[in-house]
Amino acid sequence: MISVKHLRKTFGETEVLKDISMDIHSQEVVVVIGPSGSGKSTFLRCLNLIESVTDGSIVIDGQEITASGVNVNTLRTEVGMVFQQFNLFPHKTVLENITLPIVTVRKWKKHQAEEKAMDLLQKVGLLEKASAYPDSLSGGQKQRVAIARALGMEPKVMLFDEPTSALDPEMVGEVLGVMKQLAEEGMTMVVVTHEMGFAREVGDRVVFMDDGYVVEEKPPKELFEKPEHERTKAFLSKVL
Amino acid sequence: MNFRFDIIQEYLPFFLQGMGLTILMSVIGVLMGCILGFFIALGKMSPILIVRLPFIWYINFLRGTPLLVQLFLFHFAVLPSLLGETTPVLSVIVTLSLNSSAYVAEIFRAGLQSIDKGQAEAAHSLGMNKVQVMWHVLLPQAFKRSIPPLGNEFIVLLKDSSLGAMIAAQDVLYWGRAASNEYLKVWEPYLMVALIYLVLTLSLTYLLNYIEKRLDVK
Ligand SMILES: Nc1ncnc2c1ncn2[C@@H]1O[C@H](COP(=O)(O)OP(=O)(O)OP(=O)(O)O)[C@@H](O)[C@H]1O
Ligand SMILES: [Mg+2]
Repeated sequence: MISVKHLRKTFGETEVLKDISMDIHSQEVVVVIGPSGSGKSTFLRCLNLIESVTDGSIVIDGQEITASGVNVNTLRTEVGMVFQQFNLFPHKTVLENITLPIVTVRKWKKHQAEEKAMDLLQKVGLLEKASAYPDSLSGGQKQRVAIARALGMEPKVMLFDEPTSALDPEMVGEVLGVMKQLAEEGMTMVVVTHEMGFAREVGDRVVFMDDGYVVEEKPPKELFEKPEHERTKAFLSKVL
Repeated sequence: MNFRFDIIQEYLPFFLQGMGLTILMSVIGVLMGCILGFFIALGKMSPILIVRLPFIWYINFLRGTPLLVQLFLFHFAVLPSLLGETTPVLSVIVTLSLNSSAYVAEIFRAGLQSIDKGQAEAAHSLGMNKVQVMWHVLLPQAFKRSIPPLGNEFIVLLKDSSLGAMIAAQDVLYWGRAASNEYLKVWEPYLMVALIYLVLTLSLTYLLNYIEKRLDVK
């Protein structure tokens, strides 16, 4: 589904991603963990080209997105992204947040987009908030709307960048619940998170990144119980 | 002191006429200023220095020189040589439009740059193109934030339009000077002129407050 080869990313002098190669299969849930500043966000952002790639290649669903002449906007509809800070549009209602890209990018008729949006709101359990503005929602509700909004584009892959890190503890569960449900439906997902419980339960594979490299990748049980590398052990001993 | 209300009474129709012209010139000035200012703001935010440079100097010139000097320049030099001839009202409108466009451009630019980067990122990540992101996501939010400073700019413009009297545009101040010259009186006409401007700016302030409340601007 996604094949990353020798990905490098530099910001000026600093090399943030040094040589990342990774294959992500269809319907797989890959959880990315690692210390702050290790390049996890940058890696995700390269996957939908919010960040330009310095070197290496990324192939998604048979298409090399790092080749020149790729329609970036079309690619991005196929790769959904959920941010730590939700990034809902505050001047639009919940319903409009979801319909806006469906109408402007996918060119659906308004009423069709609204039907689709209502289905998605039902799925994330927020049907009654359709006409509310984001400001009036709790963090957990905002993030569920953001997930619904990304799903509106019917992406092939969903990227999550610390989706629960900005939430009060009591709201983490509702968001992870929606993500778990998505995984069960067979969505291909790449999730950066500090929620080791989620990684263990939902993840098919856990990738440990440090200092711009993938240090180790294994099924969660193996990685958590028998980490091979010293750096992985050191990191796990801090977070587990 | 003998306050001659009869002068004011006699000139009242002219004052009202002048008030109409003052409002007309300021409204056109601020509208044109907004339209021009929007494009100038976009130009000034270009990542390419060569594109940015003319916009930077356009703004520098219009904000860095006195409005009265600009008015004389346009009325006596620029417009006559471009159009062959000009009228005081046209010169005032052109000068106010250009002058306010520079200030409005800075207001819009500050508004756009105050929007969290995550907004554009999220919109792009949904596949929206640059124009769609600007039109549907950034501009509505930036415009809302720009309303209070735009209101201030409008009030400044309204008062500055009185400079038009210096090139004989028949605004409120023009008729005040006319009355003063005719009767050799200073208090009555100029107090009246001041009062009219005060009424205009206060009404505008209340109107803007009302709009801000309706739009729930924070
Ligand atoms: N736009 C940028 N310009 C310069 N440096 C950047 C930029 N974005 C990220 N970096 C640097 O790249 C490194 C990796 O950042 P990144 O956000 O990918 O880390 P992370 O693993 O997501 O960390 P965290 O857990 O704190 O979110 C950091 O040192 C950061 O300072
Ligand atoms: Mg990060």
